[in-house]
Amino acid sequence: MKFSTKGRYGLRAMVDLAVNAKGEHVALCSIAERQGISTNYLEQVFSILRKSGLVKSVKGAQGGYILAEPPSDIKVGRILRALEGPLSVIDEKTENSNGSETGIEYCIKLCVWDKMNQALNDLADSVTLEDLVDNYRKLVGIDETMYYI
Amino acid sequence: MKISTKGRYGLEALVDLAIHSSEGCVSLKSISERCGISEAYILQIFLILRRAGIVESVRGAQGGYMLAKSPSEITVGDVLTSLEGPLAPVACCTSTNENPLCERYGKCATVGFWKNVMKTLNEVADSITINDLVEYYRNNFFNKDYEIDYYI
Repeated sequence: MKFSTKGRYGLRAMVDLAVNAKGEHVALCSIAERQGISTNYLEQVFSILRKSGLVKSVKGAQGGYILAEPPSDIKVGRILRALEGPLSVIDEKTENSNGSETGIEYCIKLCVWDKMNQALNDLADSVTLEDLVDNYRKLVGIDETMYYI
Repeated sequence: MKISTKGRYGLEALVDLAIHSSEGCVSLKSISERCGISEAYILQIFLILRRAGIVESVRGAQGGYMLAKSPSEITVGDVLTSLEGPLAPVACCTSTNENPLCERYGKCATVGFWKNVMKTLNEVADSITINDLVEYYRNNFFNKDYEIDYYI
């Protein structure tokens, strides 16, 4: 059971953007290099993110992207849904929605898949981009407050 | 993030088996007919479930399959992980410090989130038993064919 690379790489790229922005826009190729993702693929991903109002682009030679909102206002769920569509543990397209599903299938949908999807969405909406940035900073030991004597 | 047809059909076939278990062992053919899943596919699935200790097979003319434990002892998590492997939204979720599955493991901003997703999905799946599904089915979908006649 896997999320597609669009959602996974898109989330990583958004965290990278948030970490490296420092108030200025960030070049896509720099994100691509740091994250080990092809620039072409990132362009596709960022095009979706831009249309969803999550990032803004700055054109030109020194151009790049910047978050459209503060990271504390951006829920992970919103990023993933923009890139993946509704978050679901099953492939909605192959589901029998024409009424020919069996009673057991429907019962499993209500008791299992819907419950798992709800838990997944609740979790994704309880975490903000800022939370991921904070975790990352702790992980690599970036201390924003440096004291010098 | 998708659970494959093996997990979905497997769960459906197993619930069907549980519902019809009072009749003794159940043939794959009957499960196939009721669920609309090919017998060959159900066989593949039940071989895995048998190895996982979830069902037992009974040979012979009146043979078939039955649950190896009571339905309240089998969780949805048991069934899905035996058919699908770990419910991991990304492969690196199952990484550990001793066995990182990705070269970015020590400096990845998002693996913590994905691990939480996996933990949450497992918790939900482990909280639902086959018995819960059978009960829900019986209470909501079972065709009550009898009618109550009132005579004055």
